[in-house]
Amino acid sequence: MTGGVWYWILFGMCAAWVIVTGIGVVALRNIVHSAVSMVLCFLGVAFVFVLLNAELLAVIQILLYVGAISVVVLFAIMLTEPQHGRLGLFFNSQSVFALPLVVAAAVVFTLVALSAKLPPTGSESFSPSVADLSQTLFNEYVFPFELVSLVLLAAMVGAILMARKEDDDR
Amino acid sequence: MKPVDAYLILAILLFCIGAYGVLARRNVILVVMSLELMLNAVNIALAAFADFLAVGSPAGTYFVLFVITLAAAEVTVGLAIVVANYRNRRSVQTDDYSDLKG
Repeated sequence: MTGGVWYWILFGMCAAWVIVTGIGVVALRNIVHSAVSMVLCFLGVAFVFVLLNAELLAVIQILLYVGAISVVVLFAIMLTEPQHGRLGLFFNSQSVFALPLVVAAAVVFTLVALSAKLPPTGSESFSPSVADLSQTLFNEYVFPFELVSLVLLAAMVGAILMARKEDDDR
Repeated sequence: MKPVDAYLILAILLFCIGAYGVLARRNVILVVMSLELMLNAVNIALAAFADFLAVGSPAGTYFVLFVITLAAAEVTVGLAIVVANYRNRRSVQTDDYSDLKG
């Protein structure tokens, strides 16, 4: 699914979508607007995954990021207090220096990426099916898979421990 | 310019936008959201490498899967800490969390 004018037109639309909504996350003042912009950005990343022949990743991206993580973020916004007022309340004092620093970092990263000696591109695109992926995941990669499930369990226990109310009678 | 470079530049731009959010915003929830943007940028780069430079191995897909899972764990614990902190000091502003400053 590479090459062709339409592929790159689609890529340009997805890239513009991701960049614009990403800027919206860090630039909008109302945090609920930022969260909505974040959800749209994750949706754009899912489209980028589709362009990269990773349909499984696109589905997981929509399920986990667009579905689950955004709900968690919105709950956290709901449980805390929104900010109102002038611009200085939203950006801290080092934001003036952060902007040129970030732009410089982007330029350096781009130069490094463009000058890197990457291995040659394969002749045809390698796109394994979901069945192939699951075969390898539960054979070769079963140990990291189980390890990650342990990490998720620890995160669940930790989140409950952190967020629950402390009772006074203990 | 190779096809993979376009995706790398997209990933770099998204990563730097997220880094600016982490550096410049005051709200802790927004800092966590910007971290998610940075992780998504890395995912784009990994998926691009897996598609364009693959040598017959789906390892890039698994990297993205594990990054997504760990990001979910990170955002859960991070926002639980934010909510617990908010309960103690009625604030989600980074400037109010300065107890270790001395």
